[in-house]
Amino acid sequence: MLEFADVSKSYPGGFVALDRVSFKLEKGEMAFLTGHSGAGKSTLLKLISLIERPSVGRVLINDVDLSRIRRAHIPYVRRDIGIIFQNHRLLMNHTVFDNVALPLVIEGFSGKDMVKRVHAALDKVGLLDKVRCLPHTLSGGEQQRVGIARAVVNKPPLLLADEPTGNLDPDLSKDIMRVFEAFNQVGVSVLVATHDLGLVARMKYRTLTLKQGKMINDGLLQYQEDPL
Amino acid sequence: MSILFSGRVTSGASEHKIGIARRFVMFWVNHVRQAVASLGELWRTPSASILTIGVLGVSLTLPATLHLLVKNVQQVSDSFTQAAEISLFIKEGSSDTQIRSLQQILQADPAIARVSHISKQQALDEFAAVSGFGAALNYLTDNPLPDVLLVLPKNTQAASARELLARLSKERIVEFGKLDIDWLTRLDAIVSLLRQAVLVIAVLLLGAVLLIIGNTIRLSIMNKKDEIEVMKLVGATDAFIQRPFLYSGIWYGVFGGLLAFLIVEAMLWWLQSAIVSVTSLYDSDFSLQALSFVEFASLMALAMALGLGGSYLSVRRHITAIEPTGP
Repeated sequence: MLEFADVSKSYPGGFVALDRVSFKLEKGEMAFLTGHSGAGKSTLLKLISLIERPSVGRVLINDVDLSRIRRAHIPYVRRDIGIIFQNHRLLMNHTVFDNVALPLVIEGFSGKDMVKRVHAALDKVGLLDKVRCLPHTLSGGEQQRVGIARAVVNKPPLLLADEPTGNLDPDLSKDIMRVFEAFNQVGVSVLVATHDLGLVARMKYRTLTLKQGKMINDGLLQYQEDPL
Repeated sequence: MSILFSGRVTSGASEHKIGIARRFVMFWVNHVRQAVASLGELWRTPSASILTIGVLGVSLTLPATLHLLVKNVQQVSDSFTQAAEISLFIKEGSSDTQIRSLQQILQADPAIARVSHISKQQALDEFAAVSGFGAALNYLTDNPLPDVLLVLPKNTQAASARELLARLSKERIVEFGKLDIDWLTRLDAIVSLLRQAVLVIAVLLLGAVLLIIGNTIRLSIMNKKDEIEVMKLVGATDAFIQRPFLYSGIWYGVFGGLLAFLIVEAMLWWLQSAIVSVTSLYDSDFSLQALSFVEFASLMALAMALGLGGSYLSVRRHITAIEPTGP
């Protein structure tokens, strides 16, 4: 599903954000990506969502080399990836419905079909009763779940999340992770970047750990054990 | 369309195998919906929109007014066909029959609209009446004025009138002919100068309109930077993001054009009575020409084209420049 082959990314000025990172995420697999801030988590996600291009190496999704994707085709690639942002990135002056419907509107859905899908997505994250609300009337956890609903509304085969529990208390974080698990169970590949190591260890999923741009761990992470 | 996953259904339209006709209708329905949505967007920021529309309206008013001015001056110059009247002065000693036969010949000439004869005596009487030398003229023993044939050419343009003059001057009993053509050429020159000036000013003002709309759209793009980034992250193409801004540009054009039209109409209404009182003094049948429907339509089309063009210039540059910086 997702493959990094000896990927390095350096920025002008010589800063190396990723150093020969290789890993493979299978179809329907769920994994965590951890590391201190500045370890390269965000850069890795940026390479997948084509915000940045690697300096060396190849990133493949479903065996398609992303370096072959022209600029004009980037939007179509992003439609196949559901992205969840740390700060939600909701459109604050639009209702929850409009926010969740945005990817569908972009893809040309309309009418009943769109309403059905938006309601299904909001139902999965438990926010069906907030359809007509504006985002700023919701709590932080609810806003994050709206972001998740938006990411999954067009049923992407790959889901990326960048610090989805960054600003949430432990209980809410667990809820959010349950939502990801639920999507994973219906066959979606999920990659969650987080620095909440306690949560990661309790969830018992494959964990990729980055340190200063290098992949230093790939496998299960034991609770209380800090490899960093 | 999915590049990474062949067979993944992504488009709402392709999922249902919608027919071409229905898809065509949906295409237009979507466009109308987006047009209305961007109208609503203008409505939500009334003060900024009104300012922009006001500037556009005033900028478009000036070229429209100047156009009307040229049009009306042209109407005046067209009404001075008498100016191209040719006076043929007849040689001393020509007989009445000779003059009359020349008059008949000229009347049959296809290039001539009308010929009238002013005899020596008529000319003297008129001169006495107009000049106020009545008493003094009585001391003249004979009439010094020649017979005159006034020829009105069919084609009153300067060049052809001059050609006709050259031909008529060769008639045997004609002493010389005179055409008050300088006046006509001067008026023609002034009208064409005016038209050139209007063109230059119009081009400058329309350029200003383009820049104003471009700048307004640029500001609204900057205001929506975050929104645009989010849209790009969830897979919106540049074309999709551009569309509402292009519609806003068109709306600015529509309202600016309408405002310009209203200002011009108000100005005409205001000036009408003043102009009527001036023209009645000159005993002229001049009537003020307003914008015709075609001119109104072209004003609107021009305004909309400028709106679209201005926003397109801005959108091309700024929407591609906004790229999401991180998930």
